[in-house]
Amino acid sequence: MNPVLVPTNDVNSEHGILVMWFAEDGAEVEKDELLAEVETSKAVLEVLAPVAGVLLHAAAKGTEVPLSQPIAQLFPDSAARDAFVAAQVAAPVISGPRATVKAQQRAAELGVDLGMLGLDRLITVKDVEAAVAPVATPADLPAPLPGAPGRQRILIIGAALGATQVLDILAGSTTQQAVAIVDDDATRWGAFVHGVPVVGGSGLLSDLFGAGAFDAAVIAIGRSPAVRARFRALCDAAGVPLANAIDPTAKIATDVTIGRGNIVCAFCHIATGVQVGDNNFFSAYNSFDHHSVIGSDNASGPSVVTSGKVTIGSRIRFGTGIYIEPDVVIGDDAAIASGAVIVSSVPAEHAVKTKIVTTTVVPLRR
Amino acid sequence: MIFAKELGDTLRGALADDGRVVLLGEDIADPYGGAFKVTRGLSTAFPARVRTTPISEGAIAGISAGLALAGYRPIAEVMFGDFLTLMFDQVVNHITKYQTMYAGQATCPVIIRAATGGHRGYGPTHSQSLEKHFLGVPHLRVVAASLYHDPRVVFADFLGRDEPVLYVEHKLLYPQHLALPVNGMVGDLIASSSGMLPTVRLSAVPREDCTVSVLAYGYQAHLAAKVVERLAMEEEIFAELIVPAQIAPMDWEPVLSSVASTGSLVTVEEGADGWSWGAEAASVVSRGLFGRLRRPVDVVASSPTIIPSSKTKEAAVLVGSAQIEAAIRRAS
Repeated sequence: MNPVLVPTNDVNSEHGILVMWFAEDGAEVEKDELLAEVETSKAVLEVLAPVAGVLLHAAAKGTEVPLSQPIAQLFPDSAARDAFVAAQVAAPVISGPRATVKAQQRAAELGVDLGMLGLDRLITVKDVEAAVAPVATPADLPAPLPGAPGRQRILIIGAALGATQVLDILAGSTTQQAVAIVDDDATRWGAFVHGVPVVGGSGLLSDLFGAGAFDAAVIAIGRSPAVRARFRALCDAAGVPLANAIDPTAKIATDVTIGRGNIVCAFCHIATGVQVGDNNFFSAYNSFDHHSVIGSDNASGPSVVTSGKVTIGSRIRFGTGIYIEPDVVIGDDAAIASGAVIVSSVPAEHAVKTKIVTTTVVPLRR
Repeated sequence: MIFAKELGDTLRGALADDGRVVLLGEDIADPYGGAFKVTRGLSTAFPARVRTTPISEGAIAGISAGLALAGYRPIAEVMFGDFLTLMFDQVVNHITKYQTMYAGQATCPVIIRAATGGHRGYGPTHSQSLEKHFLGVPHLRVVAASLYHDPRVVFADFLGRDEPVLYVEHKLLYPQHLALPVNGMVGDLIASSSGMLPTVRLSAVPREDCTVSVLAYGYQAHLAAKVVERLAMEEEIFAELIVPAQIAPMDWEPVLSSVASTGSLVTVEEGADGWSWGAEAASVVSRGLFGRLRRPVDVVASSPTIIPSSKTKEAAVLVGSAQIEAAIRRAS
């Protein structure tokens, strides 16, 4: 489908009068064929077909048309035109329940059918959560593993792929052991991830900790700083301490301070004098050079590399393969796209976007 | 329901209903029909009462004042609101003073319509929103066109009273479709309104669930409504947007009752930052709701500098959706 626009750079006119159609609705037209005349305050403009195709008028003769909108559409054949017209007619009929994006996600997680809520207003997460009866914890859910004596027993929050990364780190540990996983997606309950049971939802945190089932928690969510921050607040409220999970291949230099709840994946490098806050998720091959300062609740992809004396705020999402020059300051809640080379500071609540240059693969010339 | 066309029909109705109504302004007669085509067709229908004037805003103001004193109902079009400055003396020292000076024995009900605002690449002297200089002038009402207010209701109010009024019409509203509340909704937003020239309130969810109030008028209200709807749908950040028609003198009640519920206020205007409508709102709200605000009032306005002709540079100076969104996120 190709839009037919009125060719004008007349800044004084917002709209014009469609004086005449020279091609009937549904007609087959050639490229550059005269389709219509539109009169603005300054001139009568001829509108030509930008491509060949089957015409669908979007405005009637004699009506006023905004110059920013197409006056017609061109389709490759009449079947495509008919299908478009049919879809236009059908479109208003299929108005299902309106729900926010978060409510739709929550409904999918909890298995709630939004149509069954019977609400004719905007459905929010609150509505979705109110619709599910409080899930009684089934009696047959697995209990946390006992844990070996002398090891810190870790409860992992989140049973998706982040959990497998944390379990892999702990597999190489002689001081920590994963004993349980919690996840708010009830469909995961009762499953085992690399031999560790998913014992229920995050609502169990307080009870399990009170019962002495684990010593500290790790938030195994690698994507969303906001979700990491939310679960950290939940742990704080429940009095549950967070533990660091640091891969044995990571190089932690002297004179480094690290808070709690950080996940440091394989081959990371934290250089001398670096200060790290709480609850960060550093993917593999991250390198923070000397005397950099890092806040809390950040989430990074692999190969985020800083030079020395870089300051990184909190709740920042880093993509993959990012280089950061010395003394750069990255503000809270920023988002950095993959492949960025950051040469100057990024203010809080800003996104760094990159142009992706794809490599073209062509056959060899002989 | 294109705003420029609806406004033109409103003026046509006023001319037809009331023989005292006179339209004057630069290039408003046919075939040109005004720079933004609002008056197209009107000089053909009412040749005696729709007059093109010379290029002199001073003369337009003076003739309008005289006509109004003589019992007519002049509606003056200012092609570019930037040149309201040439009317300032007559508005401040004459048009707004007569009624009180002569103890009601004279009235001067001049209606001034001015096309304002930027985002069109018209440069430093054809893009401004200078209405803030007219706010607080005693006995002057300043009213802003919006997509949520029917121009017929607005002009019925103007013509039903004996007071002078400045009506600012942001240029980018002209090609837009009006979005008047229907069955308590504007599109997917819940709408309610109060007052004679109604203050319209728009939100995705009931006020109790909103965590920030947003006060905006004119084209900026249209931008803010889109941001409010998007933040609600995508992130469940819920804001209540308050859109007054009359921006001076203000009926603060709808603003205060909204902020009393949300505890947070963002104001939005396209005029230059400082000494502004939003600053007045911040003052009134902090006086009325001291101790009940969760955070300071955030005033979003354009950079206090000239408006560049380059569209890219203009976008960096004028308030747009990005600044509104950032402010609502901060304040929610």
